[in-house]
Amino acid sequence: MPRIVGVDIPAQKKIGIALTSVYGIGYTTARRILAEVGISTDVRAKDLTDDDVSRIANTIEKNHVVEGQLRRQVQQNLARLREIACYRGLRHRRGLPVRGQKTRANARTRKGPRKTVAGKKSVKGQH
Amino acid sequence: MGRSLKKGPFVDAKVMKHLKRRKEQGSKEPITTWARASTVVPDMVGYTFMVHNGRIFHKVYVTEELVGHKLGEFAPTRTYRGHSQKK
Repeated sequence: MPRIVGVDIPAQKKIGIALTSVYGIGYTTARRILAEVGISTDVRAKDLTDDDVSRIANTIEKNHVVEGQLRRQVQQNLARLREIACYRGLRHRRGLPVRGQKTRANARTRKGPRKTVAGKKSVKGQH
Repeated sequence: MGRSLKKGPFVDAKVMKHLKRRKEQGSKEPITTWARASTVVPDMVGYTFMVHNGRIFHKVYVTEELVGHKLGEFAPTRTYRGHSQKK
């Protein structure tokens, strides 16, 4: 099992897909990287030569922010928004949708599991 | 969708006028404004703005970090005190 950029160990999959298990590399980025180093996306990850692997790793390190560094960057961006008390920051603080979505219904991804309120009328009659 | 680069950032003309006057006088008096849509530009760093939220004016002290945001982002327009706690 080849290792690419630190901890990531893609498996039996085609390299084009295997690369997407790296945080920060999706389908498109994976394709772009492979095109750059001239490796077919259809080779299984296990069939890569050591040279291929190191070439892939090199391009990633050179041109992409991935894994821990990317996670940190995202966290820093969030922390900055929180810090300056702008609208987006406030929404992040409260765990509500940030981009103007409605919160009367849905928004469960941000709000988490429903907290049922006793005695509240059923959803259909609610207005 | 971002704003066309050709136009540059929208900055309220009156805000700039007041800012210029403050700079000439070396005054740091807050600038009261309703121009929530106005972008914060680097010139404003170090000045205080009173930004209207529809009811009151929120005091916003502009730091380096606020550059690029709109003034209105720092003066929330809604009041939410949480749901009532029954019993």
